[in-house]
Amino acid sequence: MDTESARSKDVDQALAAVAVDAPREADIAFDSLYRSSRDDVYAYVAGLLRDRTAAEEVTATAFERAYRKRSRFDRGRGEPRAWLFGIARNAALDELRRRKRHAELATDPLDGEGAAVADGFEQSERRLAVAAALDRLQPAERELVALKFFAGLSNAEIGRVIGITESNAGTKLNRVVNKLREACDGIE
Amino acid sequence: MESNRDSLDLSATVRSLRPTPEPEFAARLDARAADGFPRASRSWGSRLVEMADRVRAVPPRRVLAPAGAVALTAIVVATAVVSVTGTDPGNPSVSRFGAAATSPPAADRPAGAGVQHGTQAPVPSSSRAGSNSSSSAGSTLSEFEARSGASWLPSIAPHPSGPYASRANRRDIERSAQIVLGAEPSEVRAGVARVLDAVHATGGIVLRSSIQDGDEGEAGASFELLIPSPRLGDALATFSAIAEVRSRRESTQDITAPTIGVEERLEDSRARIESLLGQLSEAGSDEERAAVEAQLRAERRLAAALRSRLTSLRRRANFSRVSLRIETGAPLAAGRNSSGWGVSDALDDAGRILTIAAGVTVIALAILGPLALIAFLLWLAHRTLARRSRERTLD
Repeated sequence: MDTESARSKDVDQALAAVAVDAPREADIAFDSLYRSSRDDVYAYVAGLLRDRTAAEEVTATAFERAYRKRSRFDRGRGEPRAWLFGIARNAALDELRRRKRHAELATDPLDGEGAAVADGFEQSERRLAVAAALDRLQPAERELVALKFFAGLSNAEIGRVIGITESNAGTKLNRVVNKLREACDGIE
Repeated sequence: MESNRDSLDLSATVRSLRPTPEPEFAARLDARAADGFPRASRSWGSRLVEMADRVRAVPPRRVLAPAGAVALTAIVVATAVVSVTGTDPGNPSVSRFGAAATSPPAADRPAGAGVQHGTQAPVPSSSRAGSNSSSSAGSTLSEFEARSGASWLPSIAPHPSGPYASRANRRDIERSAQIVLGAEPSEVRAGVARVLDAVHATGGIVLRSSIQDGDEGEAGASFELLIPSPRLGDALATFSAIAEVRSRRESTQDITAPTIGVEERLEDSRARIESLLGQLSEAGSDEERAAVEAQLRAERRLAAALRSRLTSLRRRANFSRVSLRIETGAPLAAGRNSSGWGVSDALDDAGRILTIAAGVTVIALAILGPLALIAFLLWLAHRTLARRSRERTLD
């Protein structure tokens, strides 16, 4: 009798521990989102801000805000990545606005610019030309490039993030790519 | 074909420029994510922000039930408070819950409405209640005039101080009181004797009395008394000392206006009688004399009625009517039947509580609704401005 009672108590304690330790659904979903999007968010923010230190701060802020709002996320209103990039975009734009109010900071070179030396001459020249062309883009255009090529978002996700339709996002992207190509041709 | 290849090359080149986070930063961020992004500082401001974040993080579906419970609790508490303070929407002067009744402002009461007081509420000597006795006096005299054919009488101008006679030098206040005493059957006789002694001591009059012997619940006594108004307080104090006071109610009614009105009409009537007597002495023919005499008879009947009415009004002001009952056995609920609290009483109380609850809800909505709307509009404006400001950053 005593043995049965003790066994039952152990089982109860184990179940209670599982119940306490079991992460909530929102936490699991956020953890998955964080792992799959950490580098993409950083890439987007860094591409938009062109400042590594600020990009790190903004990325951390974006994830923190998303973490605090994780319970409020409604899957019916869109994909989690679009929601996360919307938060990151707001944080990045707030940072841009703050920088505009203060002094204009010098921009950091993009990763490819530094690595150009290690690659072949033609390839490195091409990278430098594209980087220079990216510098000449308007911030809104550079944002599209960052969302598409750095963060890897689909046109539909881009549309959700910046508040336009998918086809409009595609059209704008096409226009930016053409502009980029023309700029590259001009530089080369 | 070449264009596609160019595009692919360009895309690949742009992708190769993709910034990647420093390993140290990535490790730091991973650690913070694992810890649930703890806040660096623990100042009051950050705690408030954290609390607000937590509140905001709760999904609306989960907020609805607690918010509803809080609203319901608030309504119940407000209803209880309103009920206990005794404000009855239907009859503000009477509380069925036994608390001291509250009187509405004089302006809100119909003319002639009396002021009622509970056990603990003394009668204010400067009560300014209006009077409805004027209407009853007026109707009686009008009937008299109609019957006597005195419609030829000139109409009397109202008292210059208005229907409440607010500029009168003295107020005529009619007072009344009901008092219920509880006693043992063996104490009833002694109590009756003390009541009569008190009435005689104050110079009062016993209009009616009834005494019954018997067991508990049967034995008792009841009195209808007239007590000189200036000594009403003393009399009630004496009655209250005779036995346990189970209930006591006092009411007042200002009868200044009808008293002054009747006095003025009586003076006018006397003047008209004098005038008619003069006409009678100067009458030249029998027909003329007969006509004047008819008018004189009618006027004298009117004057007699007015005198009677004035006497009655003065007696009401000078003497207070007191209903006193000595009962034995368990006390009866005030204002209820001897059968006690029943289903109809429960329904009445439920209806009353629901009415108060509905009133509280309407008032709360009237206050909170506009505030919520303003807050929503401000939030909407702030959100729109913030979004536009962010978008302008990219221009």
